[in-house]
Amino acid sequence: MKKLKKLFIFLLIVFVGIQFIPTKRNQSTEVLETDFSKTFAVPTNIQNMFEKSCYDCHSNNTNYPWYNKIQPISWLLENHIKEGKKEFNFSEFGAYSKRKQKNKLKSLASQIRDNEMPMQSYTLIHRDAKLSDNDKEQIIVWINKLRDSL
Amino acid sequence: MKKSIYVLALITILFSACKNDKKQAESNSMQSSEMNMKEADGHDHDDHDHDATMGENSSKEERNIDATTQKNSATSAIIDSYLQIKNALVEDSKEGAAKGGAMMLTAFTDFDMSQLNDSQHKEYMEILEDAKEQAEHIVKSPIDHQREHFENLSIDVNDLIALLGTDKTLYQSKCPMAGEGKGAIWLSEYKEIKNPFFGSKMISCGSVQKQIN
Ligand SMILES: [Cu+2]
Repeated sequence: MKKLKKLFIFLLIVFVGIQFIPTKRNQSTEVLETDFSKTFAVPTNIQNMFEKSCYDCHSNNTNYPWYNKIQPISWLLENHIKEGKKEFNFSEFGAYSKRKQKNKLKSLASQIRDNEMPMQSYTLIHRDAKLSDNDKEQIIVWINKLRDSL
Repeated sequence: MKKSIYVLALITILFSACKNDKKQAESNSMQSSEMNMKEADGHDHDDHDHDATMGENSSKEERNIDATTQKNSATSAIIDSYLQIKNALVEDSKEGAAKGGAMMLTAFTDFDMSQLNDSQHKEYMEILEDAKEQAEHIVKSPIDHQREHFENLSIDVNDLIALLGTDKTLYQSKCPMAGEGKGAIWLSEYKEIKNPFFGSKMISCGSVQKQIN
């Protein structure tokens, strides 16, 4: 019993302790010139869908709910965002080579079509990030048109 | 006594975590300064539309390989790894394709860039960046995903040959059904059609478009 109490106190100290570790948050107030929305003429409703469903993990600005500011969730999340941005970053899209832009647009459409993105584990919590069949259709048609114009 | 050990351990964890954080921040800022440089180079989004009408490699189709392709053996290792991926996909072998992807990453690392001139260098870097990403995905993905990336990779390798040449004899073929019905090209060392986009499902779909060398 005494041991258990000690363990509990220890874990509590660790939990409180790690809250003080500074984490670099993925937040930025400026919209870069290279942002997707400034690179192409994106219709407002489509840009809104991207921002709601993709920008949290694929841009320089994440919209954090309170529970994501708690360690160690916050750590896991930062890592996830880092990976996501490496794969595809809406904020830096304009700086990609034309070759890369074309291929990224192609993957973007196919991942959305195959329901690989946005990830289920994400939409489970962020209900409003889920794309309806109609949303998906609209995005894919628009992306294909854009790809043909590049 | 025991307690102080715990506290010590905790402090160590805290400090090491902070260090990592700093490192990450540093590399982040390095990346962003690299980005800015690129922009200054004229990669600004403003001239994209402009590019689309005049850039030779920005046409909808892949770059055309002309008959005057120079005989260059420097690209051989890269092309060999590409053909390894291609042949594995023809045989529906995910493992074989993954192996080819790894071979390609090595081939790009070993490629001697010092022989490129300034005008080749910029385009080479774009091809390199893209092809490496395709190869990385081919290494770790299931086969239909590998095939999707192989489509992009085929354009990259095609453009690489147009840019630098090869001493191999290759055939550029096209499958009208690949690329979501838009059609896609691949390169082969054989004239005979063996389709890498569909494998055994549609092995003879496609036709040779041109011979290189
Ligand atoms: Cu992939």
